[in-house]
Amino acid sequence: MYAESAAIPARQPVLPPGLPITATLLWMGALLASAAPWFGELDPGALLAAFWTFDAGDYSSVLAHYSWAPRVSIAILIGCGLGLAGAVTQQILGNPLASPTTLGVEAGGQFGVTVGTMFFPGLLAFSPDLVAVAGGLMAIGLVIALTWRLGFSPVTVILAGLVVTFFLGAVNMAFLLLKGEWLGNLFIWGAGSLVQNNWHPFMELWPRVLALAVLMLLLMRPLRVLQLGQTSASSLGAKVGMIRLLTLLLVVLMTATVVSRVGVVAFVGLAAPVLARLLGARTLGARLLWSSLLGGGLLLLADTLAHWASTWGDGSLVPTGTTTALIGGPIILVALQGFKNTHHMPGQDASPAGFLPKRRPVMLVGSVAITLLLVTTVISMSWSPGLEGWSWTAFSQWHEAWVWRGPRLLAAILAGVALGLAGTLIQRMTGNAMASPEMLGISGGAAVVMVLIVLSGADIGRAGQLGGATLGAAAALGLLILLARKHHFAGNQLLLGGLALYVFMDAGLRLVMASGGTVASQLLNWMYGSTWLVSENEALGLLALILLISATLLLVVRPLTILPLGETSASALGLPVTKMRLVLLLLAALLTASATVVIGPLSFVGLIAPHLARVLGQQTVGRQLIVAALAGGLLLGIADYLSRIVVYPNQLPAGLLAALVGGVYFLWGLSRHGRA
Amino acid sequence: MSAFFDVSNLSVHIGGMAILRNMNLGFREGEVTALLGHNGSGKSTLLKVLARQLAPSSGNVHLLGKCFNHTGAREFARNVGYLPQHPPGTDGLTVRELVALGRYPWRGPLGRYNEDDHRRIDHAIEDTGLCQFRHRSVDTLSGGERQRAWIAMLLAQQTRCLLLDEPISALDVKHQVETLRLVHHLAEDRALTVIVVLHDVDLAARFCDRLVALKEGQLVADGSPREIMDTGILESIYGVPMGVMERAPGQWVSYVH
Repeated sequence: MYAESAAIPARQPVLPPGLPITATLLWMGALLASAAPWFGELDPGALLAAFWTFDAGDYSSVLAHYSWAPRVSIAILIGCGLGLAGAVTQQILGNPLASPTTLGVEAGGQFGVTVGTMFFPGLLAFSPDLVAVAGGLMAIGLVIALTWRLGFSPVTVILAGLVVTFFLGAVNMAFLLLKGEWLGNLFIWGAGSLVQNNWHPFMELWPRVLALAVLMLLLMRPLRVLQLGQTSASSLGAKVGMIRLLTLLLVVLMTATVVSRVGVVAFVGLAAPVLARLLGARTLGARLLWSSLLGGGLLLLADTLAHWASTWGDGSLVPTGTTTALIGGPIILVALQGFKNTHHMPGQDASPAGFLPKRRPVMLVGSVAITLLLVTTVISMSWSPGLEGWSWTAFSQWHEAWVWRGPRLLAAILAGVALGLAGTLIQRMTGNAMASPEMLGISGGAAVVMVLIVLSGADIGRAGQLGGATLGAAAALGLLILLARKHHFAGNQLLLGGLALYVFMDAGLRLVMASGGTVASQLLNWMYGSTWLVSENEALGLLALILLISATLLLVVRPLTILPLGETSASALGLPVTKMRLVLLLLAALLTASATVVIGPLSFVGLIAPHLARVLGQQTVGRQLIVAALAGGLLLGIADYLSRIVVYPNQLPAGLLAALVGGVYFLWGLSRHGRA
Repeated sequence: MSAFFDVSNLSVHIGGMAILRNMNLGFREGEVTALLGHNGSGKSTLLKVLARQLAPSSGNVHLLGKCFNHTGAREFARNVGYLPQHPPGTDGLTVRELVALGRYPWRGPLGRYNEDDHRRIDHAIEDTGLCQFRHRSVDTLSGGERQRAWIAMLLAQQTRCLLLDEPISALDVKHQVETLRLVHHLAEDRALTVIVVLHDVDLAARFCDRLVALKEGQLVADGSPREIMDTGILESIYGVPMGVMERAPGQWVSYVH
């Protein structure tokens, strides 16, 4: 039988020509674009010389030496460093979508610096790296602890990373809203700005990046062994756990060093290795080399774009983090089409151990939830702080309090119900316990439209915003459908498509935050779910919509039970799989859009409510839907009440509270998840 | 007996590779047929085409005399049940809930389950010997039990035909024999047409009425176990020198030289 294989000519696989060509084009393009505005003032030779000297008599030359040249150098340096870190991360986790961004390291670093600025300014002055590294380690530790027992499959890791990123982002935001005056310039810094005014940061950064890069390259051989998978690697004598730990530490150090100096430069660490791999870098050595090179080129290009946008725009600063996210999104999409057989990604073979809490009767759990919901309603309507301490509003006076407390409470509960239902639908149809409307980018689509409306300065009122957000959600959904149609709406592709949408939303957010001012705070309030904006008519309209959709849901309970058995089994049972997925997707999008308008795109309710229903022993679809809806309503009802009273007479956005509480619950639940 | 499946001029190309080439074959009703062949010979592909999981590049399949593309999804599922090679995780479903899903082709998304449905579900569980596991989660069962739970789901589906893709490849000898014996019994009791992809030619000869062998996408042998269990034919199927002994009537042992 070996005779056949000998017939294949033994030829050394060669480096595909696309790789060096693309890298060269990228570099040439980025350098030329970056230098273009200077050609009018300096000749190319003088421009080149700006990297080491300047002519004190020529203002342009001074400017080039102290502003342009260090900016270009630092972009290339950071790009190379992040590209290398990304490639190494992908190698150790055997996960083609792992990167410092998707693992939450950058968000962690940012969180560390925010906390440092607020509570330990002395420490920050001593060394910004320290707090950033601590934050980054915390984030990646969380992600790894969360996913280790869940089989560490690529999509799960990315989702856990996103949850951690969201969560840390929400905490950051809570600080900003409460102590905004302290952290104003963290806005810009957090969005990643490479603006330089001398060579000092570069001089400080390059030895560190170089040292870390050398250390990573020293670990190349053990990393190569890891490619064989954990079992084979350890049977070859590699201490897999040790290597992973050591390398991850290096990655965190590299990322945190960068983040602490220039802020979050998202997605370079993901885009560069993915691009290298797509272009055919096959061996580890080639991947590391080309990832670094492509990373440098990519970031230089992104930075140039940001610079141009700042110059041509109204003068407000466009941070580089925005443009990298804009470049990162499409690359994830390309990668999505490129990794055809995601089912054979390493790490996905180990299926997670089943998570099976004891079943409980739905009547019991449901009635407890309804009772709690009623109690919340009564307390929220009746018991509130006033100028002279706490007061109780009797039932007979509710009609007077209604206009202040009623619509927002009703809307919050309904949004929770909608998110609970949407989350259950999405988790069931993707067969992934970490999926949710927030993760699928449907909420993000609505948010992007809102950002655009605010940026354009148009005042179209609440109704217009509502319509716009619904349109955005529908557009996001349409895009998802287009993307996922090729894969028959299969779970993983859907989630990754959502990830790409999230990236776009992220870019918009960063842009607005960097522009600062009233626009930013107005948008932030909406983003984090300010229920006080809801009018009575809107709340009642929402009620009608949710009731209508709930009736439709009765039709899909049985197909939804069958879908997780896989496309093959489902169609073997006579289910029109593609059509059914489309219907479910539409329902989920409608639910999400209606909730997003009220509570903003960033609550965790769609993720948590279905999970909570499971923990409460509701394993079948119908029961999970009911209990998830009730749990979602309860969560946001309580969040709305708390948001009114915690910082009375001020208000916190309810969605932010829900995200904070929900995030903690989710992280805790997930870590239990594996142990159960 | 009439032909249950009638395959005519069937070809399947995937990515420019011909997996099946111009195949003509009929499957009679009530017969247990094993599909044999080495890896990549196209047997799983043939099974997928029969299960309508894969569209043929050219050619046609008739189910009970009707071109099978014209059958509705649920109607098809009432006639043909398919067990994939690697059944997916079941996400917390109990055995009974899994088996109950087999009634979907009959009841659709909204139809109520009546007495008859529940009887058939229980019957399927009894037939596969899973009574004591009926309220256990499928994920917690052993490999052999899980396989039986899926077969029970196919039984509850009340089809006239079962298509099984390597149902025993992940099982030990005891469970292999038990599963095949179960399939054999069920086929007799319920007059089912069974087409099963198998690697073990001895077990196939022991439990099946007919053996069909593929090689490089073409039919190389087709006949009763007695006809196929022959040194020359086995060598032509697997491409290695082999021998065959008949230990007792209907029990063959093949071996490699």
